[in-house]
Amino acid sequence: MKLIPYLVYLLLIAMHEVIWRDVTAIHGVTINLAAFLVLAVALYKSELTVVWFGFFAGLILAAGMPDRLGWHALALSAVAFTAFHVRERINLKSPFAKFLLMLGGLFLHNVLVVLINQSGGFLYLVWHSALTGAVYTSILTLLFFAFKDGYVTVRKIRDIF
Amino acid sequence: MTWISRLFSRHSRNLHLVAILLLSAVLIYGNNDLNRYVNRTTLFFSWPFSQVRCSIEELSGVNAENQRLQQSLVEASLRLTELDEIRRENRRLRSILEFEPEPGYSLLPARVVKVVGDKIPVSAVVINRGQEDSVLVNQTVINQEGLVGRISEVWPGGAEVQLLTHMANRVAVRVAESQEMGVVKYIASRGMILENFPIQGNIRQGDLILSSGLGGVYPARLVVGTVASVEKPEEEAFCKVLLTPAVSFSSLQEVFILRPD
Repeated sequence: MKLIPYLVYLLLIAMHEVIWRDVTAIHGVTINLAAFLVLAVALYKSELTVVWFGFFAGLILAAGMPDRLGWHALALSAVAFTAFHVRERINLKSPFAKFLLMLGGLFLHNVLVVLINQSGGFLYLVWHSALTGAVYTSILTLLFFAFKDGYVTVRKIRDIF
Repeated sequence: MTWISRLFSRHSRNLHLVAILLLSAVLIYGNNDLNRYVNRTTLFFSWPFSQVRCSIEELSGVNAENQRLQQSLVEASLRLTELDEIRRENRRLRSILEFEPEPGYSLLPARVVKVVGDKIPVSAVVINRGQEDSVLVNQTVINQEGLVGRISEVWPGGAEVQLLTHMANRVAVRVAESQEMGVVKYIASRGMILENFPIQGNIRQGDLILSSGLGGVYPARLVVGTVASVEKPEEEAFCKVLLTPAVSFSSLQEVFILRPD
């Protein structure tokens, strides 16, 4: 297993949490890059790689909150584990299936984050932050996979214009 | 030892998962020192980005501070200008307070509200006193510097003052030192001049020129100006006397209407 790409992912997560999270937020709805990267890794890599990556991504996500480190690490590991096993049972060639997997994974992680943070009314936060955040990030994942799977290419975009 | 390596190889996946669960459990229920240590390690990833964010926030703070200071500077500058204006007005009003009319006359203060025409020098102005204040045509207008002109037109709420710079205005004057008489008028091309002053008359640069009261409009002993230059051509009967007006006609603000008691 090559470590450098995962270190880069962790740095990306740290950068997003510190700099881009607030900048890209729309009415308090934020992009969950950590969960997105963990789920994206879960689609292509082995189970242990995914779970360990989820664990460390959770630690990075909880940086600055020493009392919640374990919970965040466990939550993201669990999401990674679940995503990996769901991936084993779906048709990965279907972009819709991939999208549903991402959406479900992101929503699950957002709900777990809300539960861990427990900063307000749970149902309100699930509706306001978890679901909307999952939809916001899923839309970005749609774009990501559209490019990655070749549905959208630079040439096609050029041809439009 | 082989059984251990066999155990690891056979149950590698499960051991990894258990390790993750154990690590999570240790972090959740473990002591604070361990969590602090792990936290410091994870902060290592965030640290450079925190620095970048702090720098950006600091820069934006400096920018906001800069804008605030610039605004303060503009406000202070405006206030300073206002204070300068107030100081000038204060000085002017103090000099007015020290000004007393000739015996037998009273003063009606008035403010210049408009300049008539666009010629330089100004030849007429409008004041805020009129028929409602019993102002009459041909009443004399002065300020603390000297003779300003006369009322040429009156209406209920205001009046027009024909200044000494008006081409139609003439003032019968005397030289204060020698009491010799002449007539002062204003010619746009030359300025204020003393007419009809005989060549053998006693007049020098710096002499004070006062109204004589003989013209029938202006009372006597009002300052008209000072002699700026005197020329005495041999072949002519009169001197060419140039005067410096006592009043600054371009900056008139407060004036007085001189009325007999």
